[in-house]
Amino acid sequence: MSEKIEYEQRRLTSNIKAGGCAAKLGSAELSKLLARIPSKTTPELIAGIGNFEDAAVYKISEDLAIVETIDFFPPVIDDPYLFGQIAAANALSDIYAMGGKPVLALNIVCFPTCDFEEEVLVEILRGGADQVEKAGAVIAGGHSIQLEQPVYGLAVTGLVNPKEVFTNGGAQPFDKLVLTKPIGSGVALLGMKAGMLSEGARNELIRNLTTLNSGALQAGRQYEIHALTDVTGFGLTGHLHEMAKASALKSRLNLSSICILPEVVELAQQGLVPAGAYGNRESFNDRVKYLNKVELEWEDLLFDPQTSGGLLFSLNPDHAEQLVEDLKDLSLQASIIGEMLPLEPNESIGAVEVTAN
Amino acid sequence: MIYTRLPRLVLRETSFQESHQKKDQDLTEMNREIDLRGLVCPEPVIRTKRLLDDQDTQKIEALVESEVNVKNLARLARSQNVSMSCSNEGDFYRVVLTKGEPSPRTELEELAIKESQKETNKNRVGTVVFLAKDTFGQGDPDFSQSLMNVFLQTLFDSGHRPRAILLANSGVKLMDPEGSVLQVLNGFAEAGCEVLACGLCLDHYALKDKVPADQITNMFNICEFLMTADRVLTP
Repeated sequence: MSEKIEYEQRRLTSNIKAGGCAAKLGSAELSKLLARIPSKTTPELIAGIGNFEDAAVYKISEDLAIVETIDFFPPVIDDPYLFGQIAAANALSDIYAMGGKPVLALNIVCFPTCDFEEEVLVEILRGGADQVEKAGAVIAGGHSIQLEQPVYGLAVTGLVNPKEVFTNGGAQPFDKLVLTKPIGSGVALLGMKAGMLSEGARNELIRNLTTLNSGALQAGRQYEIHALTDVTGFGLTGHLHEMAKASALKSRLNLSSICILPEVVELAQQGLVPAGAYGNRESFNDRVKYLNKVELEWEDLLFDPQTSGGLLFSLNPDHAEQLVEDLKDLSLQASIIGEMLPLEPNESIGAVEVTAN
Repeated sequence: MIYTRLPRLVLRETSFQESHQKKDQDLTEMNREIDLRGLVCPEPVIRTKRLLDDQDTQKIEALVESEVNVKNLARLARSQNVSMSCSNEGDFYRVVLTKGEPSPRTELEELAIKESQKETNKNRVGTVVFLAKDTFGQGDPDFSQSLMNVFLQTLFDSGHRPRAILLANSGVKLMDPEGSVLQVLNGFAEAGCEVLACGLCLDHYALKDKVPADQITNMFNICEFLMTADRVLTP
């Protein structure tokens, strides 16, 4: 018995209520709360919280701006090295989502040194450092505190030409939407925690979670991109709504062309749905319109909070197929998932229409 | 292998099992009671599923802590064609799953629909200010109009942020860029409050071109706001 307890104590995801981006505060909750905080802005801040952008962009000169982001969360997986990799890929992604190049990162660490061996933290940091190196950036320091629940992430600084910043706004009517990773990671992570994910599905999940979005951005740059975000805590519908809203359009998702991780439909059917998905449903349900019957588990997947999700491009429709081909060459499971559409009279801005065909 | 909790919770569960072992035997073999409070997601749904998978189980009474657990179990019940009922017992929920008499699938679908409607409503709660005229009460017209201005300014300064300010009929004139009220309405909008004007009314008062598209709404939306608000103010 005592041996078993010791073993359990070393499991990183022990007692973690919501890991990854599922740990994020709800969008509705957050908007309400932030509305009570006085906010000031400055002309140099060319992208910020206004349209729920992925990162802040601060213009320094005509051809240089810095991109700032911070992202951290509790463990999503028991392997500390993989957790470090996933958290870092997720944090770096916000820089890519603005069209930037990461240059500098700082570690954010909460860690209970009484409950876990030092080695665990070393592995987490090593996972993060490997990703930052892969991204061509450097870790310049960080901050760590003792806390009951482990948390890891990065504050990242990137560089971008202010004229080449990609934001949620700017999508054009009839743009095609290209997503560069499959969805369902919130459900799959819960399934993994439940021991219900097969080894093959687990490997596929980890491969996606640890993949940097740098390659996807580089591929996208070759084409006429109008808007860009990454799909994370607010789920596919939440992020798509923000993009359509900021672009004063509506969007349409085609369910049959959305890639999903293996086994997630079955898991969602059986109730392995993270709390964050219900929070997203609460925040965005009245923005989503189902054009025909959509199964409950598919609804849940559309609201599923994604950890280290893919990039979502809104681009010139003539370029979409070629971009998908290029992304597939990078071993990314990309597809055209829908399109942006003009608003008809009396339609609400930012609506997400979902069709099963 | 799938225990994922810290010892504190393991101990709690062991003591629960011990104290309930006798009770379990007293119950008919088919009926199971299981206390899932204090367990971290996804444990409640896994344990319930394990019991459901047991062929001998006919009925499960599960005690769970949060609404998320209830929703997860509703999905489990739906996938296994098992009927489910749920009651709120104060700080926990009692979920009853019954095998053998699978409730029609439609009933479970309804449960899911109800759930999503409830969530929509929840999103809409709060105070809604409904301005169906451009005056504050009725009286001398000029005076009533300036009172409206004073009301909105005072409301804004007081720090109260209604969920939405809805403008209809002559109330849409408050959105006129040449009027004196637009500034404070914009202040509300910037603070995250939805400021929406009836499109039909804007048309009637020839103001549609002067109001941004995302602040124009329809009667359907206005009805939704009014019917789901905690409180509607119509000064």
